[in-house]
Amino acid sequence: MLQGLIFPRDSNVLIGAESADDAGVYRISEDLALIQTLDFFPPVVDDPYDFGRIAAANALSDVYAMGGTPKTAMNIVAFPAQSMAVEVLRDILAGGIDILREAETVLLGGHSIVDEELKYGLSVTGFVHPQRVLANRGLLPGDCLVLTKPLGVGIVNTAVKGGLATQETVRRVTEQMATLNRVAARVMEGFAVSACTDVTGFGLLGHLAEMIAGSATRVRIEASAVPVLPEARDFAVIGLVPGGAYKNREYRRSMVEMADDFDPLLRDILYDPQTSGGLLIGLAEQQAPALVRRLREAGVETAAIVGHVVAGDGMIEVR
Amino acid sequence: MNTLDARGLACPGPVLLAKKTIDDQRPERLAMLVDNDAARENVGRFLGSRGFAVSVERQGDDYLLSGVLQGGGGGEVAAESPATSAAAQAQPAAAQPRVVVLIGSDQLGRGDEQLGGKLMVSYLKTLKEMGPELWQLIFVNGGVRLTLDDSPVLAELQEYERDGVIVLACGTCLAHFAVSERQRVGQSTNMLDIVTATQLADKVITLS
Repeated sequence: MLQGLIFPRDSNVLIGAESADDAGVYRISEDLALIQTLDFFPPVVDDPYDFGRIAAANALSDVYAMGGTPKTAMNIVAFPAQSMAVEVLRDILAGGIDILREAETVLLGGHSIVDEELKYGLSVTGFVHPQRVLANRGLLPGDCLVLTKPLGVGIVNTAVKGGLATQETVRRVTEQMATLNRVAARVMEGFAVSACTDVTGFGLLGHLAEMIAGSATRVRIEASAVPVLPEARDFAVIGLVPGGAYKNREYRRSMVEMADDFDPLLRDILYDPQTSGGLLIGLAEQQAPALVRRLREAGVETAAIVGHVVAGDGMIEVR
Repeated sequence: MNTLDARGLACPGPVLLAKKTIDDQRPERLAMLVDNDAARENVGRFLGSRGFAVSVERQGDDYLLSGVLQGGGGGEVAAESPATSAAAQAQPAAAQPRVVVLIGSDQLGRGDEQLGGKLMVSYLKTLKEMGPELWQLIFVNGGVRLTLDDSPVLAELQEYERDGVIVLACGTCLAHFAVSERQRVGQSTNMLDIVTATQLADKVITLS
């Protein structure tokens, strides 16, 4: 989509719009760079306060995925003022503020417009040392891949939208989406990470594809080791798979090697678009078990090694 | 076999339409027209999980899915298979009481016909205050007039249906008044369904 557009840039742009990374990075001085990101979307849950929390956790996630610390944020709001009580907007903003507070990030302002469809999100700015930026490119042969949150959020949200999920399931997936990647990012700081991204709309395989497309590495995913929300499979089997999962597969299937008899439900889960998904972290194999152990000790209990990287041809192998 | 048209419905609309049709009518055959790959795959999968053998036929830019129920056990068999356990548990009905409102007239109470008509309209509009406990609205005898094209509560009843309330109109009654063609909301139903609904309900409110 961006092809042919030429972006203004200067020598301080460390990561720009053309690199399809989680956020942009701009060097201010030798020891400080800005991370900037923006994300907003229509409600994914019914409760306005929870929607606010999820949107904020999702927007902040890109800063964590770049190895940075979020510092400031601005709200972006589209609100159907004619048809919706203003209290709804207040609750959304309250949810966002509570997550910002948890992230020790200040809200500096924002902008709202009247629109037919409700949308909310934030623009977030963070700090990072220019030498410690974690790009999504950079996986090395011998690395292991660690994923911090279970997959299946898109599928479960589709069931929630259809009124087929229990209150308990709604609560669980809401809490997962509203959970910041902050703790995971902090634990990750103590390790020599070679590449990192957060798993969102393109699904695990889509984001992995961005990490290795055209590189001299090949990724092997152990599907049975990938953490998955327990309900996701039950909903996938009755056809509650979001259109995005099929689009992700259509887009990246040429980069993915999968046996013909591979479980189609698990396949869809691996392509399932995530909202406020976990971090996908690449680091040397000998360090990976320690990272998983530290993550679990810190409360990121679902963290797991999901695959490893070898020299190769830019392909993803799922087995 | 009538064909359900799910073209233009956003995900998960086509699956929900198939689910509602199977839950309400328990058909042995079902056909659905969809206009994208995701819906084709999802609806095919859903029908499979409910025990249907599914075939797909390309029709221009659309797909026609045809399902035939296998084994003749009706929807009950599929409803208890592990594949659908999550959805089965997820039925809100399991957690809260199910209320059936059986409506036998287009008027509420006796005394003045005009007043009775107004009261019934008011009752049906206010009924939404009952919340998710409202499970089914069943119209019999003169009550079926409320499901016709000139019903003063047509929009309200259509909204209940959209919100997941099962709206049923007695088919014999529609035929008796010769108004079957004019029904605009709900499924037409038979006495067996009405007996079953009133038996399964936790509470039946009868207005006649």
